[in-house]
Amino acid sequence: MIPGNKDTRDGIIFSLPFLVVYLAFMIYPLLSGLYISFFKWDILSTASFVGLDNYRTLFSDEKFYSSLWHTLQFVLMTTPTLLVAGFLMALAITGSSPWKGLMENVFFFPYIFSMTVVSTLWAWLMQKDWGIFNQVLINIGQNPVSWLTNERLAMWSVALTTLWWTAGFNMVLFGAGIKQIPKEIYESAAIDGATYIQSVRHITIPLVSSTTVLCLILQIIASFNVFGQVYVMTGGGPHGTTRVLVQYIYETGFKFFKMGYSAAMSYILFLIILMVSILQYTLLGRKENA
Amino acid sequence: MKKQILLVVLAAILASGMLFAQAAPETKAEGPIEITFWSLFTGGDGEFFDAMVKEFNASQSEIVMKNDMVKFDNYYTKLTTALAAKTAPDVVVVHQGNLLNYVPSGSLLALDSYVDATTLADFQQAPLDACRFDGKLFSLPFDVHPIVMYYNKDLMAKAGITKVPQSAQEFIEASQKVKQATGKWGTAIDNTTGVYKAYTLARLFMSMIAQQGGSLLNADATAPAFNNAYGEAALKWLQDLVHVYKVNPTELDYDAAMNTFKLGEAAFYFNGVWATGTLEQTAGLNFGAAPLPPIMGGEAAWAGSHTLAIPVQKNQDPKRVEAAMTFINWMTSHGEMWAKAGHIPTRKSVAQKSEMKALPYRADYAAAAAFALPTPRTAAWEEIYGTLSDKLEFAVTKNQNPKAALADMEQTVKNIIASY
Repeated sequence: MIPGNKDTRDGIIFSLPFLVVYLAFMIYPLLSGLYISFFKWDILSTASFVGLDNYRTLFSDEKFYSSLWHTLQFVLMTTPTLLVAGFLMALAITGSSPWKGLMENVFFFPYIFSMTVVSTLWAWLMQKDWGIFNQVLINIGQNPVSWLTNERLAMWSVALTTLWWTAGFNMVLFGAGIKQIPKEIYESAAIDGATYIQSVRHITIPLVSSTTVLCLILQIIASFNVFGQVYVMTGGGPHGTTRVLVQYIYETGFKFFKMGYSAAMSYILFLIILMVSILQYTLLGRKENA
Repeated sequence: MKKQILLVVLAAILASGMLFAQAAPETKAEGPIEITFWSLFTGGDGEFFDAMVKEFNASQSEIVMKNDMVKFDNYYTKLTTALAAKTAPDVVVVHQGNLLNYVPSGSLLALDSYVDATTLADFQQAPLDACRFDGKLFSLPFDVHPIVMYYNKDLMAKAGITKVPQSAQEFIEASQKVKQATGKWGTAIDNTTGVYKAYTLARLFMSMIAQQGGSLLNADATAPAFNNAYGEAALKWLQDLVHVYKVNPTELDYDAAMNTFKLGEAAFYFNGVWATGTLEQTAGLNFGAAPLPPIMGGEAAWAGSHTLAIPVQKNQDPKRVEAAMTFINWMTSHGEMWAKAGHIPTRKSVAQKSEMKALPYRADYAAAAAFALPTPRTAAWEEIYGTLSDKLEFAVTKNQNPKAALADMEQTVKNIIASY
């Protein structure tokens, strides 16, 4: 320890620039959101205190439940597929293929685009009458598909877009995890006559499990917060069947001017994500230690 | 030590002096006043609007108007937060139907003392009255944009239709003729959410109920009034075009409907007058425009209206308000430039201008402004409008039993109104 230095004091001083921003733009809005959720407030007029009314309304709001269900559908569709896709991509780029450099770039490339660009692009590709997907289908003698306008397909189409867009990020995480596994393990397995599939199953998958847990938690949180892709691609349609919770929160707050109600729903979403994360962390974390 | 304190105080005085010195010329100077503006116009509308602002700036030397475009999707979000913080620009565009979100909280300036009687008398009565709340004027109407009908003349000729259809029955017959003779669609009414909700369904539904003498909501906008024979007739017609007569595509979103008509794939198309600008630029499209026909008997059409308003500021500078009023006055009295975007101007003097009369199509539907339906006055309107669009989308694309659909919609609207 350098004389005259006080670790705690210096620590606080050095983290102050971050702390100030964090308090002002994260913690304060978070708390003020909770505060607002007990009020009826249209942003412009004076707020009136309504206690737990907003939360009470919420549990009898059919639109809240349906939006939550649509969000859950999206989470269930995207989480496993994105994990598997990211893992397979990572396997491909850490293998011995001469194309692995090219593949790494190709796989990660979509991730650099903004949400709006990706969503607009795919909305055009999937357009029912003029989109290139359906043109191809028609040319090979198939019936065109209502990618975004059929309630059974619309969410899958958004999920597919999300897969193309963000799988590259999981690939990077898994790639880093795979590269940390010592080469000797694979070598000794190979000497013992293990096939590629066997070494993936018995070496790679168990040894990247901490990365898998990380990816899973990040993915679930990201998927629960889905909004942009849905909003741009389907607008929540057809007839509200892809309206996700964050979209409903946004509309309630900024279109219908029910700020308190909107904040209350945000807190429910927050609690759900918190619970899922804690559950995962404890369940999967315990397994890893055992 | 004392010297140091003195120095600091001196420096502070100097600094504040400089601050005031900097602020001073702005209010005192003889140069032009710079005022700011937010508009929500994009695409064709945006180009015409920008051209008008440019012309306004060139036409005089006292005021410089700076136009800061906000993407339409985020416009009201940005406006609302700016109004709450009292940092909104000097002039803003607000749809007449959205005024009710801002007037009760006192976010907009009452304009009565800034407009003289002659100017007021030049405005058409109905759109002007729509900007009054409790007798006070909170904005001036820039345009009226009702839903109108566009028809493809070539397709009609090929199908041997000589008269533009008017009644529900005539539409069905004409559409069937078009389909038989050309294989194209009769009508292109969008019925599925895409970039936009299926608002066209809600607009037509509202219009057709009014055409029968009914009204979507009751007179004071406190309860739904569409679960009756009027609503059923309107909904049934919209459904039958798709499912019984099969002359309107299903799963058709807003952009697709526009493209269907642009490509000459449908004979009759319903949209707001803003479509005119795009349609007339479409090469090879031989079309006509007309006010919304009396499909259900009477004359009535959903309409929106862009209005120009002045936000209340922390320190309202009377000079800036005056400049803003000059701008608003200039913009509304040059409505013939705005009419290029398709919209119907609101000032009587504009209607008389030869430039206005020379514009094609506009004259054909200008009469529609006379039977434009005002937006119901309830804070719940935005939610009702969006929710009805979703419900109508379901009812039309799924051919839901109209009675069941109307009952469900009625209950939903009641719940929405109760939640405000």
